[in-house]
Amino acid sequence: MRARAVTFVRKALLGDLFQGLAVTFRNQHPGQVYTEQYPLERPQIAERYRGLPRLHVNPETGETLCIACDLCAKACPEHLITVESERDAATRRKRLTRYWFDISRCMFCGLCQEACSTDALELSQDFELAQYSRDGLVLNRSRLEHGPETTVYTR
Amino acid sequence: MLNQLTSYLHQNVTPGEAGNLVWATLYILIIFAGVSLAVILMNWGERKALAHMQVRLGPMRVGPHGLLQPIADAVKLLIKEDIMPSEADRLVFWMAPLAVVIAAFTVYLVVPFGPTHAVTDMNIGILFMLGTSSLGVLGIIMAGWASNSHYPLLGSLRSSAQMVSYEIAMGLAVVSAVLMTSFTGTGPWAAGSGSGVGTLSMIGIVEAQKTQHVWFVFKFFPLGLMAFMVFAIAMVAETNRAPFDLPEAESELVAGFHTEYSGFRWSLFFLAEYAAMIAVSSIAVTLWLGGWLRPFGTWLSGPTWDVVFSLVPGGFFLLLALAAFYNTARMPRHPMLRVQTLGLGAFGALLGLIGLLLLAPPVRDRIQDIFWFVFKVAVFMYLYIWYRGTFPRYRFDQLMKVGWKVLLPLGLAVLIATALVGVGPELAAWARGGH
Repeated sequence: MRARAVTFVRKALLGDLFQGLAVTFRNQHPGQVYTEQYPLERPQIAERYRGLPRLHVNPETGETLCIACDLCAKACPEHLITVESERDAATRRKRLTRYWFDISRCMFCGLCQEACSTDALELSQDFELAQYSRDGLVLNRSRLEHGPETTVYTR
Repeated sequence: MLNQLTSYLHQNVTPGEAGNLVWATLYILIIFAGVSLAVILMNWGERKALAHMQVRLGPMRVGPHGLLQPIADAVKLLIKEDIMPSEADRLVFWMAPLAVVIAAFTVYLVVPFGPTHAVTDMNIGILFMLGTSSLGVLGIIMAGWASNSHYPLLGSLRSSAQMVSYEIAMGLAVVSAVLMTSFTGTGPWAAGSGSGVGTLSMIGIVEAQKTQHVWFVFKFFPLGLMAFMVFAIAMVAETNRAPFDLPEAESELVAGFHTEYSGFRWSLFFLAEYAAMIAVSSIAVTLWLGGWLRPFGTWLSGPTWDVVFSLVPGGFFLLLALAAFYNTARMPRHPMLRVQTLGLGAFGALLGLIGLLLLAPPVRDRIQDIFWFVFKVAVFMYLYIWYRGTFPRYRFDQLMKVGWKVLLPLGLAVLIATALVGVGPELAAWARGGH
């Protein structure tokens, strides 16, 4: 009986509506804002995020770490990696000549970077993969080594 | 000519009463520009406040903190293609937005921004306001019918049903406020109450609140408040705003009665909707919240407090300027944002300049009535946004139930109770003395 009376008074004084209004009023505080202003603010990328592939070079000599073993191309379930190499006559070792990575079909499973015996190939934390054409999604060796060439707009 | 212009300044009446056409036209232009500016500000404020309630940022890119966003929107709407459906009734389709806009703006003829700051003061002012503002329904029905499409027709039917049924509750609440003007006693409980002649004039209603030393929300304590609540709910429904936005329910009817409208015509509907919101809010402010009267007029009276309260408008603008400067300092240092940071600083400087101007004695005496009126209306505008951010939309039968089964009996009860309380002492005296 008493509970019903309380509910009635609550309903008559629009208690629930005022409670709702209080919630929205509290949430207005600018500190609560969840949006990040993307190009000005870089988002926090997870450490193990698998994004744009990179082909690392030796930072001292500038030579590629890739030994053209072709393991990445074999590991790839989509067969989108192409490794081209030639035999160095002097050292009798394989030398990387050209390399293609077609990210238009890539699902970023990361099997290639796990297969890489020299840690040359890595799926980096770069997430800006958009291109103006389909061909732009096929990354060649220089683009893989130099990383994404982001256009910086001055105005 | 010049004489006619300057002589008005010494007369203490509205231009309509003085019969001064030049000043009346000037007032109309100022009000038109002011309301349009208010609609622009309201557009920005609504998007920002709503965004913050939903833990978003809202517009941030066009101008500092998106301040120029409504202008960009307006330009976009003006240069957009104006489509008329091939099966539409062309004449009615063309006339509908005009009817809505004219109804929404005609109302402002009698809105009292101050004791002399109204275009004219009609002796039937409040009746005129309610009458003209309900003409807006006609435009909405025209729009829905002329579009020759399902959603607009359904939207306009919903809209007319809703507006007609809430008009009654609204009218009852208004009548109880008008009734209060005739009880001449002072204070919330009308000490020494006697009944005189009431008034329907907008300026007269505010003057009555001044002479009775009480805003009508507090008069006969719960009664005035209840009438005000009835009006406050009915006015949200009248203007088709959330949570009573069934006529343009996006999830059900695309956009309701203006689905087929685009470009300039659509922007006229938008303008009219917001102008109508401001208009009904100014009715509420005039009838219950003391119009242009400053708060605490009775408790904190005397020349010292008058000066203190007359400094508030300037102080308010200086505070806004301070907020703008604070945000300028907080802008991220980024070459892309340099122009925006400068712009925000300049905006703050402009606000500060206005604030300083409002502090000057001759200006502040003339402007403070307008400030208090606009401030109260602005609070109502915020309430509209707040409701929209909080309440989900009512179902149609719930809407009708609230209108007919709750607000209408409540309005009637408040009206009768107000009359009984007001005439009570006289009735008792009559019963005892036996005139």
